[in-house]
Amino acid sequence: MTAFKFQRIFIDEEAERDEAAQILLRNLPTVPVERIRDKKPLIKQFSDLTDPLAEGKKFLLVTRFYGRRLKPCPGTSNHLCCGYYVINAITNCPMDCSYCVLQTYLTNPLLTLYSNWDDMLGEIEDFLSLKPQFLVRLGTGELSDSLALDRIFPLSQVLIPFFAERKNGILELKTKSAEISHLLSLDHRDRTVVSWSLNPPRIIEKEEIDTASLEQRIEAARRCQEKGYLLGFHFDPIIYHEGWEEGYRETIVSLFQQIDPKRVAWISLGGFRYPPQLKTISRERFPKTRIFLGELFPGKDAKFRYLKDIRVEMYQKMAQWLREEDPTLFIYLCMESQEVWNQVFGWSPRNSSHLNQIFEERLRELLSQREQGASRGHLQSD
Amino acid sequence: MSMSDISKIPLRDIDFTDETFSVNFMVHLERLRSSMKKVGLIQPVLVREKHSRYQIVCGFRRGSVCQELGWNEIEARVIHQGEDDLRLFSMSLHDNLTTRGFNSVEVAIALDKLVHHFRMDPPVVIETFLPLFSLETSEKILNTYLSLVSMEDEMKRYIVQEEVSRSNIRRLASMTSEDRMATLSLLSALKLGENRLREVLTLLEETAQRDRRTVREIIALREIQATLSHQNLTPSQRTEKVKKALLTLRYPRLSQLQETFETKRKGLNLPSGLSLQHPAFFEAKGVKIELQCETLEEYQSLVSSLSLLQEKEEFQEMLTSSDQSKRPE
Repeated sequence: MTAFKFQRIFIDEEAERDEAAQILLRNLPTVPVERIRDKKPLIKQFSDLTDPLAEGKKFLLVTRFYGRRLKPCPGTSNHLCCGYYVINAITNCPMDCSYCVLQTYLTNPLLTLYSNWDDMLGEIEDFLSLKPQFLVRLGTGELSDSLALDRIFPLSQVLIPFFAERKNGILELKTKSAEISHLLSLDHRDRTVVSWSLNPPRIIEKEEIDTASLEQRIEAARRCQEKGYLLGFHFDPIIYHEGWEEGYRETIVSLFQQIDPKRVAWISLGGFRYPPQLKTISRERFPKTRIFLGELFPGKDAKFRYLKDIRVEMYQKMAQWLREEDPTLFIYLCMESQEVWNQVFGWSPRNSSHLNQIFEERLRELLSQREQGASRGHLQSD
Repeated sequence: MSMSDISKIPLRDIDFTDETFSVNFMVHLERLRSSMKKVGLIQPVLVREKHSRYQIVCGFRRGSVCQELGWNEIEARVIHQGEDDLRLFSMSLHDNLTTRGFNSVEVAIALDKLVHHFRMDPPVVIETFLPLFSLETSEKILNTYLSLVSMEDEMKRYIVQEEVSRSNIRRLASMTSEDRMATLSLLSALKLGENRLREVLTLLEETAQRDRRTVREIIALREIQATLSHQNLTPSQRTEKVKKALLTLRYPRLSQLQETFETKRKGLNLPSGLSLQHPAFFEAKGVKIELQCETLEEYQSLVSSLSLLQEKEEFQEMLTSSDQSKRPE
């Protein structure tokens, strides 16, 4: 069912009867299952291992989530943030990217799936009902990959129809996988943006372990676009490396050989950045990684970023290559200062709220285009 | 354990080449020698029968001083043949810990013997012996010490003398032997504390990795060697210059910005008491101006110099326009 191999499923007794847990067990019939009453000793046992993260990815923990699962994207101080909301449905990820920030802050190293989907949907419903006048963007791709496990734990089958019925919520499923089989038959009603994180093949091969190739990602995106989904692309993290210009230029060209830019909701650009703890952890886990060899320095929020001149150069060139494909593409910078926005685009959102407002305008424009298209279609068929 | 009472045994019957139970490295015998000269041997050594001779279990340094002093006999307790090697080694470690402690290389030798000579499982060594040396029970720590054993003696001596930390030992261990020896020749010419050492090793390692060169090729570069061969520099000055050269190699774009800023700053001919700084790593815009004075006259003079800055091209270039464009429709 999935390319990932799991050694064991630990299932919390409380979660055992949840439908999501039952689906998972049916989808992984040959994986041994162990029922547990208390997950704390298990988490402690894995945390004490030499490489807890690598080990944790081989085991699934199915449990219930108690508490708030919906949070504003953490963003970072002194930088413009797009006002995105994060849904915590899975923590940890079966993929293993050398730059992944989860390495620094997951206290539970097991790949953990939360099975109380009804509670999650209820929380989203309550949240959206408080913001009827806004068009809120929410996504599951912050603490895990949105689709990597979708074949065995098909959250998309629940979330996409749920958002299809909502007027003021847009779901973004962010992935480095090509696991879209469940998406193709769903009635999404334009309320789901499927997005891919992209990097040149050389970076994918060396730094994004166990992810889909660029070719597979683009093909999956093409198939989703064929089914009418709005798409998003995230060039994030952009890694400054030998031959980066050629690598990213070719990636952009390959992308738009398959994808119609007019149905791309947004494209983000974000230079590689990391909290100070990541370097030690990542270099131990990935001794051959080259991501820390650029000119990266700490900022006011203590995160390391490329020298500003380098970031501006990367963003300007990337934006230029993207605009050569289609000058109307909606391009934004992820977690950058107003000054960098100004240097790259010649303008800047006034603040994070303004950026959020620009996103809303963009989405309303895309949705109205679709509605107009649909009504024209009705007229023609009449 | 079968052990005799204290007796005197001839020194010639001790096999000093048998170092099964020794972990000594860079031993300092002066104080022990002086004490034994004055009051003789207070604590007898512990030996084990080995065929017709003896091997030392505890007391290598005492035995060695006895030899130096030309004594014929030494007081000892004798353990009979057949006693378990690992148990005796453990006893020797405990004995040394209570009397003198170990330097980092000696800890490394002890752990290496446990794993490779006595064939103890690493997890058991981690759980049982790391706490004995007041170390945390972690595989990473065990591996750090095991990597130290295989380093060159010169590097081991540097590590002991400079009390190099485990994280820096790991950095040195990741190098090839040739790179490590080239690094040692560089380090020996500098005056480095723990943090500076970490900085220098990281700069060397990252520059070499980025440029796909060896560490020794980086050290052999003209800009490093010229500083090392400069006779009139103090170790501190040499350290500063080498560090600057390494930073320029590692961060060429930042160095270029710093150099450009410095050229402009010099072009302003600022009076003493007036200083200009760029934002950290040039992340933010603008400059920081600092004014320092003691008298009103000095203050007036500095303010007057300050007011003239805006006329200078270099200063104008340091500041950017505050215009902010609107989003194109």
